[in-house]
Parts: sequence; structure tokens; C-alpha cells
Amino acid sequence: MVDAARHPKVEVLAYSEVERVDGYIGNFRVDVTKKPRYVLEDRCNGCGECAQACPIEVPNGFELDIAPRKAIDVPHGQAVPLIYAIDMDNCIHCYKCVSACGKLDAIDFSQEPETLDLDVGSIVVATGFESFDPTVIPEYGYGVYPNVITAMELERLANSAGPTVGRLVRPSDGAAPKSVAMIQCVGSRDARYNEYCSGFCCMYTIKNALLLKQMNHDMDITIFYMDIRTPAKGYEEFYNRAREMGIRFVQGRPSQITEDPVTHNLYIEAEDQALGEVIELEAEVVSLSSAAIPRLDSEALASTLTLSRSPGGFYMEYHPKLRPVDSPTDGVFLAGAVQGPKDIPASVAQGSAAASRAARVLLSDSWEIEPIVARVWADRCVSAQGRKCGVCANACPYGAITVVQGQPAQITQAKCHGCGGCVAECPHDAISQDHFTDAQIVAQLQELLKDKPEEKILAFMCHWCSYGGADNAGTSHFEYPSTSRGIRVMCSARMDQDFILEAFRRGAGMVLVSGCHPQDCHYISGQQVAAKRFDRIPRALERMGINPERFRVEWISAAEGEKYARVITEMDDKLATLDKETLREETAKARPEIARRLKRWATVPGMAEMLEEEEVLA
Amino acid sequence: MIKSQRLDHGFVEEILAEPGGEHLLTCWSCGTCAATCLVRRYEPAFNPRLVLRRAGLGMREAVLSSAEVWQCSACDACYPRCPKQIHISDVMKAIRNIAIREGYERPGAAARVDTESCIACGLCAAACPYEAIHIEEVASKEVASNGTGKLAAQVDANLCMGCGICNSVCLSSSISVEGISDQVVSQDIAALRRQPARGALAIVCNWCLHATTDWDVAQNPPAGVRVVNVPCSGRVTPTFLTTALMQGYDAVLVVGCKTDECHYKHGNALEQGRAEVVGGLLDLLGLEPERVQFAWIGALDRGRFPALLDKLAADANALAPVHWGDTPGYRGEVPAYPSAATAPRGEG
Repeated sequence: MVDAARHPKVEVLAYSEVERVDGYIGNFRVDVTKKPRYVLEDRCNGCGECAQACPIEVPNGFELDIAPRKAIDVPHGQAVPLIYAIDMDNCIHCYKCVSACGKLDAIDFSQEPETLDLDVGSIVVATGFESFDPTVIPEYGYGVYPNVITAMELERLANSAGPTVGRLVRPSDGAAPKSVAMIQCVGSRDARYNEYCSGFCCMYTIKNALLLKQMNHDMDITIFYMDIRTPAKGYEEFYNRAREMGIRFVQGRPSQITEDPVTHNLYIEAEDQALGEVIELEAEVVSLSSAAIPRLDSEALASTLTLSRSPGGFYMEYHPKLRPVDSPTDGVFLAGAVQGPKDIPASVAQGSAAASRAARVLLSDSWEIEPIVARVWADRCVSAQGRKCGVCANACPYGAITVVQGQPAQITQAKCHGCGGCVAECPHDAISQDHFTDAQIVAQLQELLKDKPEEKILAFMCHWCSYGGADNAGTSHFEYPSTSRGIRVMCSARMDQDFILEAFRRGAGMVLVSGCHPQDCHYISGQQVAAKRFDRIPRALERMGINPERFRVEWISAAEGEKYARVITEMDDKLATLDKETLREETAKARPEIARRLKRWATVPGMAEMLEEEEVLA
Repeated sequence: MIKSQRLDHGFVEEILAEPGGEHLLTCWSCGTCAATCLVRRYEPAFNPRLVLRRAGLGMREAVLSSAEVWQCSACDACYPRCPKQIHISDVMKAIRNIAIREGYERPGAAARVDTESCIACGLCAAACPYEAIHIEEVASKEVASNGTGKLAAQVDANLCMGCGICNSVCLSSSISVEGISDQVVSQDIAALRRQPARGALAIVCNWCLHATTDWDVAQNPPAGVRVVNVPCSGRVTPTFLTTALMQGYDAVLVVGCKTDECHYKHGNALEQGRAEVVGGLLDLLGLEPERVQFAWIGALDRGRFPALLDKLAADANALAPVHWGDTPGYRGEVPAYPSAATAPRGEG
């Protein structure tokens, strides 16, 4: 960090907030508010005389409030930059710091927040994680029993630079404990709080245990765990060393901790699974390895930067295997625990990767994007005619569309990822997507339904999930009936209601629309846009006299080949029970009404010849 | 040895299809339930984790023929702590339903009804936490006033958990569980009485003592205090409290589980209310209402039990002995506990 701060091309803006991000890859504009330190950065040399003079003591957040700090302070000894700041919420304006600073004259009570407007080419998000607060788990007594602490508190107490200069003490009486129990998976791997594995707790717990054991070989240390996870290089050896050092490992998740009200010693009850017996262990201190959780402000930053979040709340990467460092927004990269719980080596590796991904952008004069962007036909857009609309802008997960009344909707192509949600949502068919135009998709549809359509299942699949699922069914040799015909689009959001109606007008026996599971959508919220649209379709079909059972919506991931095969099989079974003559009657009855609805479509460039039958063009 | 050929995957499917059994396979055997479970204190072989493990492997015979699936009392202490949020007692119930269908029966004693003395008032059926009791027509010489056959309480042995709450509400002492009948408990109380019979009595539920040290205290209570154990505080009939006072105890304390932690769902709440009523009756008789007390111990309340007994001993010492002769309505003898034979008989 010190090296980075000294680098001539690196500027560190600590104690600052990102307020707003505009623009796109290579051309971001970032508004940053620099909070006032009330200390002049170019004069402060970090000597700390001011803090010594300051009479005000407040809880020290870095030491988890175990130790005090002054109202003028640095966050911690290794802080970069090493510049003091006054905490105005607690300062009493005694100005003792001013006299202590003396000739340096670095203290300036008149500082105001400063707004910076930065032009940047790429952005790396490395805002880290927070620690789960175990107070909410009543059976572990954190916050009730003084000697139940978190692993982070144990780390500070055992740290030679910490508040007790490395002497572990019991909070209840300040005595050195002779026995310590450590409990794993507190708030993680727990359906009540966080389902995910926090990843690095096993290793830091073993590290803490070894540290304590090395300081006092007679200390009795027990680690309660469900599974010890030491998958990286050298980790298993580290674990072995802990076992050899005499640290006791009990496989069993503690059900409760109780406290002796007199001694404040703690009793941990767990089932030792190896024995199948309940063990009651007395310990003087219990350390809870609490889960890493996303920062509480991660939702706000997600909307500032157009990021999406995975089920656990951490930021989602562009692709879990192939682009694990990129965010869904081009030019924004993820490093470290923002993307998921990570230990130091993995965070450093991802940080390095993010830096080089970011540098690629800075070194390029131009940037290649996927050629599947959306385009607006200005003459069809009602906004250009002065009417109020903006449906497309609402559907866009990337904020790539700007709608100003009186002008046609504007698409920033560098921000467009080509999901096609705006194309399908536009009520006036005024947007098209390159390589996935309505005409191209309808051409496929017509060809697939040319022969005996009532015996066919027309399946719309999104590129990232359900098409992968169908592919997986094929490569895994999961058999399914040959009656299905697939059309691939980029996202379920592209699956226009008109396509479904056109399929039924052409007499399709069954129609399937399939996409990613809600939390997996490649286009942040494309699936949600689609799901909302699909919810309305069965009733619309019913009103037109089409059996809504002929329409099905399924969310199928790329790994669910078995599900794809099953869904197609079920649909085929269903189709077999439907009388073909009835299907043809339904189609004949619904055709005029569908044709009426599709009339507007016929004016879309390239569509007229697709709909040449007179009922649409009449 | 467990041989894969003998594992029955159909059994797993059957449990998954049974209401309550859906989450069987999400268990990863962390042991939280086993460490929480209090049944293990009395039935060392009982381990909910192992029941789920065996069931998940498809060990049909071992699971269905074991006593374990019947021993879970659905107190649901484990459920809020389960990191996979498996409703374990529901899984047990699903397995029991399969066992019942296949002709297995609950081992151990269920509540029994003396149909001759039963007055079919229905209080037991209303009080039973497991809905194991119904009023039905039974074979008897007697005929009910409306001309039907005699009505009496009937117990579904497969649902009964043997808590004895039914016995505690029975007006005619006609329903009882072996080992904790009115006679047995009242004899236990009387047997502890030593002359001179001053001192205090604590009637303690089997499930609220969690720490080993609490059990040591129960075995060796402080001077002047005697301890009787019952399966549930809800088993304590109000008559136990009054007869204990009449037998010379200065104060009686009933100890049950904390609200929502009752091993038998709601026995503690029932008893807490009754103890308050008995205290009020003492007040009407001109006696100190604090002679009858109710207290609870939560699962996390290590050290609460010894403190409760110390307080009870101090309270009893502070109270003067009761001179029953001065009490209005006192007829001069300590009543023997009513048995089914002497209890008032219903008129049908």
C-alpha cells in the first residue's frame, strides 16, 4: 500500500466517497466527495503529537472498540496515507492539537468537503467485506456473556500491536485464559443467516489457534467444526501442524453455550460426531468465527456502478469461470471479497488480475464490443413525436438508454450488452437488435413450424442458461422427444410476446419460453423483465381461445440438462394428450385476433414479407 | 456392517413423499440437534442425527424397528437451531406414519384409561398436546343418559408421549401413565416427608435441568428442601400442591421449562396458570400465596436451579408453620390421595 501511494501515477483518495458514476467504458465520469480531515495533507508528517495532546478518548473502531483512540487520529498504525484527521463528532475545539502541531501548522478547522470530478477509463471495485454480528444467535450468547468474543476480537487481543500488546485476556476479569474454544461457521453455512461458506475462517482459526499455542504451550485449545476446508496450496500442511501441536478438533456444531454466573466460564455443548456422544466442554474464552458478509452499503454502490449481486449479496462477476474479474458493466472490475469471501492470496491474485484488466482499457484507443447492440428507429419512437414513454429505459439493466421527451430514445452503444429487453418491451416496435431482429427470429420460427406445426414444441432459449441446458442435455445423452424446435436469443427478455402469438398463429402445438434462474441472469435483471411479461401471457391466450396449457415458462440453468430433457418430455406427453383437431380449431379461431394484434408489426422494416398472409396485412 | 445391497432407496423416496419428510436429505449431520436434544439424557441411545442419517441412507428395517423414532416428543428445541432449518420432529412424524402403516407399534407405556370410572368430560382430550385422546363409545354394561353406549376417553398409543398432562386434569383420576400415576407421585412426595415435617418441596420437570451440576444439586438439595421429579411440570395436579402443604411442607415450588421450551409443547404454561390459581385459593384461606410458587429454567440458564432452591429454602424458613386447625373448613385430617376407587363417580 505504501508503494502504491508513492507511485508517481497513483493518487490515493482516502477518506472520500464516490457519489455518482456516469459514462461508459473508457469514458467514465466519477463524482467524488473528499471529506474534510481538518488537517492539511501536505503539511502533516504523521508524527502524532496532536493525538498525544488531544484530551478526548472515544472507542477505537479498528480495535473493535476494545481500546480507545483520540478525537484526532489515524485509523491504525499502518494507515496510508499517514495523515491525521479530526473526528468532528467528538472534538471539543480545545485546540490543544493546534499548539501541539506547532510550527508545522497543519491543522485547519476551516476545511470544507471538496467535490472532485474525475475522468477515468476503468474502475476497480475493491471495497471488501464486513463481519457478521453474532448477537443475533441467542444460543451462543455473544453480547450477553463477556467471555464470548469474535475471532476478529481474539485476533486484536492476540496481536502484539493490539490493545493488550499481544497478551490474550478474558474480558470478564482481565485474567489470562488457560482454555479457549473456537467455533466455526457462525452465521455462515446456516440457512437462518447465510447459506454460503465463508471460505477463509478455517484457515484464520487455525492460525489463531497456533498463535495462542505458540505463546502458551499449555493452553487448552478446542476447535468445533462441521468441515475443515483447507483446499489451497500448503493449507492442509498448516492444518496438520495444528493437529500435531495438540490443538483439539471436535467435529460437531455446538448447540449452545451457557455461562457459569460466578466464574464466567463457558460451557459448550456439541455432539462429537466421531463418538456419537455429546461433549460438554468448559472454556474460559470462546471465540466465534463469524461469517464474512457483504458490506451493508453494497446495495447503494451496486446501483451507482450498475452492478448485480449474487444470492449471498456479494457482487456478481460477468462469468463465474471465464470472466471472474469483470463485472457486468464493461470497464468495471471486481477485486477481492466484494465478489465473494476470499483469503489474502486469492484477493491479491484477483487484485492483480483486475489491475491488468483495467490497464487493457487504458491502453486501448478503441474498444470492441459485441455486435448485437440495440438500435432505435427514430421515426417509430413516440418519444420523438413528443409523447411520454421511456419503457425501453426502464427495461434496460445497464442504464444504456436515455429518453428525453421530444427526442428519440438514445442508446449508448458502448453500454449496451445486447440482451434485447428494450426491443421486446418497446410497445411501438421502434427498437431492433442487430443480428436478432424481429424479422430474423420470425424467419426461423416460420421455417421451424412449416410442417405439421401442431405436432411441434417451439422452445425459445436464452443464450447463457437454457440454451446451455439444452446443450448439456445433448452432451450428457439425456434423451428427450424429437418434437422440440429451438430458437436461441440472448436473453429471455428478448422473447417478445409477439413471437409467442405468432407461433400460435402458425399453429404451434406447444410453446416453451426458458431462461436463467432469477439470481443467475447474465443481464442483471433481464430475467425479471421477462418473467413479468410471461406472467400475463396465459390469460391473454385464454381470452383468444388458446388452451394456456400449451404455453410453458421454465427457468433452466446451463447445468440442468436433465431438467431441460424432463421439461420437453413432459410437454411432449402433454401434447400427446391434446386432440390435434381441437388444436387446429383453436388456431383457426384465434388467428384473426392474433393477426389484428400483429398488424402494427407488419410495418416494422423487414417484417412485411414475413407476414404476407392477407389476414395480417388486410 | 452396512451393505449397500441392503439399503432401500425406496424408503428414502417414501419419507420424502410423506408430509414432513421433505427435507430429510438436506441434513449434513452437524450434530446440533443431537447436542440440543434432551431425550438423550434419559435415552442415551437416542440421537436424532443418527435417525436422519440412517433414514437418508435407506436403512428401512433399522429405522422402522427402532424405539428411537417414537422417542422424539416434538418439543422442537432443535428446530430453531438447525442450520439447515430442518423440522426434525416432522421428519420423525413422517417416519412414524410409515411405521404405523407397516404395522409397527410404539414401544413403552402410553396413558391408560379406566373406562369404568371415566366420566367422559373431555378435559384430558382438550389438554393433550398430541391430540392422542378422543372420547369414544366403549364396550360397557353402563348406558349413557342419552341412550347410547358408555362414553370414555380412549388413547391412541402411537401418538401418546407419556407426559401425564391428561392425568393432571382428570377429575376422576381415571387416566394415568405407568410410573407417574397420582398414587406414585403422591407417595413419592409423602415418602420424602420426614418428621418433623417442616421444610420445602420442589417438584421439578425432567427437562429443565440442563447442566450436570444442576442434577448434582437435585440429588443433594440444600438443607430443608426435598426434590421430586416429574416428566413435565404440567403433570403436577393442583392436589399435589395442597396435600404437600397439608402434610407439613411450608412451601412448594414447581419448576418447569421456560415459555416456548416445554418438552411437551405447553405443559409449563398450563402449570404456571394452575399454580397461580392455587396461590389465590391460599390467599382466600388466609394463607400466604407464596407458599405455592412456579419458576422456569431456560435452556441457557446455567446456575439458575441452585439459586431457585436456595431462595425456596429461605422463603420456607421465613414462613411460619401452618396451623391447619385454625383454617376455616379444615376437618382435622390430612387427606389420603384420592384413587380411582374413591374418586367421585360420574353419573354418565
